[in-house]
Amino acid sequence: MSYAYLFKYIIIGDTGVGKSCLLLQFTDKRFQPVHDLTIGVEFGARMITIDGKQIKLQIWDTAGQEAFRSITRSYYRGAAGALLVYDITRRDTFNHLTTWLEDARQHSNSNMVIMLIGNKSDLDARREVKKEEGEVFAREHGLIFMETSAKTAANVEEAFINTAKEIYEKIQEGVFDINNEANGIKIGPQHSPTNPQSPAGGPGSSQGSGCC
Amino acid sequence: MFRSKSWFGGGLWKPKNPHSLDHLKYLYNVLSKNQTVNEHNRGLLVETLRSIAEILIWGDQNDSTVFDFFLEKNMLSFFLKIMKQKCGSYVCVQLLQTLNILFENIRNETSLYYLLSNNHVNSIIVHKFDFSDEEVMAYYISFLKTLSLKLNSHTIHFFYNEHTNDFPLYTEAIKFFNNSESMVRIAVRTLTLNVYKVDDKSMLKFIRDKTAAPYFTNLVWFIGNHVLELDVCIRGNSQYEALPRLADLVAEHLDHLHYLNDILLLEIDDLNKVLTDHLLHRLLIPLYVTSLDKASAIQGKSSPKVSSILALFLLSQVFLIMTHPPLVRVLANIILNGNEAVFELKDDIVSNPIINSTSTPTSTDEDRANEEIPSASTEENPTAHNFLQTPDRNSKSSSHEDCSSPDMLARKADSLRLLIKDEGNLTDLSRRPFLSSIFDSLETSENDYSALFSLCLLQALVKNKGIHADLLDRLFHGGAEKERGTGKEEDLAEECITHTKSRYNGQLVDRLISIIAHTVKYESKVRVVTLQLAYTLLLKTVMKEGDKSCMGDHHLAAIEGAREENILLLQNYYKSDEMFLEIFEDEYLEMSTGKVQNVEQLLMDSHLLLPPAGSPLTGIAFDKRLPCGEVERSRRAMRVYFILRKLSLTLRNEKEKYLPLTNTQTCVNIDDNLDLTNSDIQSCIVITRDTKLRRFLVIDIVQLILVEPSPKRMGWGVVKFVGFLQDIEVMGDKDDSRCLHITVKSSPTNLRGSKTKTPLLSAKFMFDDHIRCMAAKQRLIKGKLKSRQRKLHMIARLLDLTGSSPSPPQKLRHHSRRPLVRSDRPLYNPIGKALPGLAMAVVSETQPGNRKNSRDQSPAVASVSKNTTHQDEEIPLGTIHSKSTNPGGTSHNGPQPASSSSSRRNSCNSSTSSSSAISNPHQSSNSAAQNPSGLHLKFPSGNSSNLSANKINPRRFKFQ
Repeated sequence: MSYAYLFKYIIIGDTGVGKSCLLLQFTDKRFQPVHDLTIGVEFGARMITIDGKQIKLQIWDTAGQEAFRSITRSYYRGAAGALLVYDITRRDTFNHLTTWLEDARQHSNSNMVIMLIGNKSDLDARREVKKEEGEVFAREHGLIFMETSAKTAANVEEAFINTAKEIYEKIQEGVFDINNEANGIKIGPQHSPTNPQSPAGGPGSSQGSGCC
Repeated sequence: MFRSKSWFGGGLWKPKNPHSLDHLKYLYNVLSKNQTVNEHNRGLLVETLRSIAEILIWGDQNDSTVFDFFLEKNMLSFFLKIMKQKCGSYVCVQLLQTLNILFENIRNETSLYYLLSNNHVNSIIVHKFDFSDEEVMAYYISFLKTLSLKLNSHTIHFFYNEHTNDFPLYTEAIKFFNNSESMVRIAVRTLTLNVYKVDDKSMLKFIRDKTAAPYFTNLVWFIGNHVLELDVCIRGNSQYEALPRLADLVAEHLDHLHYLNDILLLEIDDLNKVLTDHLLHRLLIPLYVTSLDKASAIQGKSSPKVSSILALFLLSQVFLIMTHPPLVRVLANIILNGNEAVFELKDDIVSNPIINSTSTPTSTDEDRANEEIPSASTEENPTAHNFLQTPDRNSKSSSHEDCSSPDMLARKADSLRLLIKDEGNLTDLSRRPFLSSIFDSLETSENDYSALFSLCLLQALVKNKGIHADLLDRLFHGGAEKERGTGKEEDLAEECITHTKSRYNGQLVDRLISIIAHTVKYESKVRVVTLQLAYTLLLKTVMKEGDKSCMGDHHLAAIEGAREENILLLQNYYKSDEMFLEIFEDEYLEMSTGKVQNVEQLLMDSHLLLPPAGSPLTGIAFDKRLPCGEVERSRRAMRVYFILRKLSLTLRNEKEKYLPLTNTQTCVNIDDNLDLTNSDIQSCIVITRDTKLRRFLVIDIVQLILVEPSPKRMGWGVVKFVGFLQDIEVMGDKDDSRCLHITVKSSPTNLRGSKTKTPLLSAKFMFDDHIRCMAAKQRLIKGKLKSRQRKLHMIARLLDLTGSSPSPPQKLRHHSRRPLVRSDRPLYNPIGKALPGLAMAVVSETQPGNRKNSRDQSPAVASVSKNTTHQDEEIPLGTIHSKSTNPGGTSHNGPQPASSSSSRRNSCNSSTSSSSAISNPHQSSNSAAQNPSGLHLKFPSGNSSNLSANKINPRRFKFQ
């Protein structure tokens, strides 16, 4: 299927916060959330529409590769968006956010959009991290924030799509160099090379990206 | 969506519960009836395959019979059958997703073993999918990566077949190591690392014997090509256009090095040997090291070269990232001791495949001197370093030649050892082309383009933990003591300056000092960052046992000479630049709190690979480019000053006493409790947009302080706000003469606070009446002026400009300020002396009365009490005043020479006259206004007692 852009995402966060479940929940709606089934994937792709344009999201889970510095480094560098996930029922996963964020900021493209996600919002009774704390952390670090539940699918859709919207806006503003695939953005086959800029971007934004 | 109901016969109806054994049985039935994929059942098959994943995982978590059924019916074989038909990406992707889900989610180990046991998985791995399809490629590589995460010493046997020497998971994956998709490349790298991590001897032997040489050859070739592309980017004409690509390539090179380092860190000896060997002989030595030596580049060997600047840059990265001793030791040894012969020998032996025999980390000193040079195994390419040639693509599959023969190794290693031994007899830099070219690169008379990276490389060598400390010691210090015989130690020793206690490499220090000398020139082409590195390296070279310097006198003199030149330059800016103080403090803040540029971060900055830029328009940080315009030149001169000052102090083992200009430790902080007895305090209402607070304004020598009365102790105040007088702006209010608009900007003085855009405080201050308001305004303005002057004096002193100044500002400060004692300190008593505003304030209130009835005290009292609504605050005012002016008054025998006191009086006069002119247009004060300095002259010595008596009186009355 053709698309205007392909955005590559990575999912980061402590183990057990439900990254792969979120991933599956978003990329494949055929898997209905059920209480007695925990299921996830390490890779998924899905098409969404923003501003009337088909955009393909490719999401890569980085779990299990933290031991290798070269791998984390490269993953961050190759992504346009990152979902930083913690578990609202485990305070320690929230406490580790700073480390994750430092890592992300250090290795990633400075334009990478990071979304903070407090997962397992269905388990409100066992909540250890208040929603406000997540909001404050996100505000302090300039992230988008949302609480989600891979179990009930609450906000999962929004989390991924809002991140995509932000990336899309940055492309329109000419912040992202879309011709450089290292940024985690690829122009789809339907965009001929003679017209790499999206029409909405116009000549203004192409100049903007040219001089940066 | 899918017509998946009863018409499939067999009486198997789709069960209502999708998570049950029955449902799996139903799906089995569907699969067995649709073994051929066609247009019509495609959708049905996809949904069936998807559901199978879901049920199996549900079964794994809830019902073990589900999995038994799956295995019993050998359902995985259906997968293969479907795959082998040309089923299209739609079905393929689903198959791969199902497999991904299976292997990702199965927790039951037995289930996992069963899944892997019948070799279906390996058949799936080797299946030729349509990899041109982006999605298929991504799912496929994720599947392999997921499998690699399941590898351990048990599961490895399902993937690696010892008898057939087959390891499809690994060999199929590395075919994609250079895929155009970065995520695919990363997945391959992850997989390889996961494989190497598994502790299985025969598997690792397979990896080393059958795949390592070709894989690493390709990898190294790939890196070499990137480096050549990098070189093209740098040499190109449109350098700034190529900047994104350049940044990308630099990051890519770092990625490569980190990956190689991650492999080396796994410490698989056999593998590391092959990798080290390849790296050294196919990349690092033939490309990086040879490119260092400009002369050998001219010799015109066929092998490609990069610019020496890039070579320095790349080698710095290598030494910063890699610490594998056999690799970095050999490399460091070649760079520091080697010569071209290394490559000539290389060319001779190039046709004979041998492997390395790197010395062990525990090698003795002799061994170290004769560090064995491993040589490349070169079975594919005729020349080891021809990166432009496409490597043998088939090498991966045709990798059955043995690339390592211990016999041959021994022979070649011997010849290499001989070579390095010969080199041991060299006596000067001229026979060390690489070291000498590094040293030559330190030359900065034209610019510091290469010097920066040369310094980076030396710094990286220092930081590298894998290199023998002794080798570095000889580089920087010329060895601990002179040794006989070996020659090497001797020749280095010759280069060393022998000091009374210890030695250091004089040649290196000469060059570093020459960098400093070039830095201080007006039109200098040396960037601040270069100076900073030179500074660090210089200290590394000459500092012994922590804080003692062994630098020779002539070197010390050279540094001081450079400092003087820098100071001369700064003196000009000091005189000409009105903003000098602010910039000076800002730069100091930047230098002391700014992020310390470590070499690692420096070497991530691709901008530096382009010739030094001079314009802020490039977006390059100030310290990494040349200054643009006079303001930046003066800023730069300041930075140089701070660095050289630190260097000079460190070398002399002295402590910094004069910087920062404001000693924040003696400043008042918010929430401090201050004893304000006898202090000058003004009541006011501070109105901001949101708040309206009653506060008391205290003006210290450097700070503006707002307090509120302490609830605990009478006469004490709790600090609610502090700002530096230096940063204030005061404006009167057009509509309300009692009001002032005061803005306190955030200060460069405040080391703790980061620079912010918003001012610390922007508020309207409402005083009790317009006289107090005027008085406050005067005092604030004077305070600001004084505070700036005081600091300028200090700078003048630092810049040796103090010749004419009678009283060094430092002394004044020490007089007026004591170390902050939180509890009982007679805080503002001594300050009054330095505060012109204090005298002014009282005089303005009392003088009208004094003038009229110099003997009659009661009118004066009346006038005061009339104006005073807050008597409490007035009391200490008067007290201070009396104390501070008394000495002046009694010794008032004509004009005083002391500048400080006379200036105080002047300010006293001017403020007096202006305020009294408003409050009471008295004759004498009017005349004083016209002639401010004349006022004091009008008080003959006889009147001085009168004056002082009058000044004291109001206070006494208030007490009564």
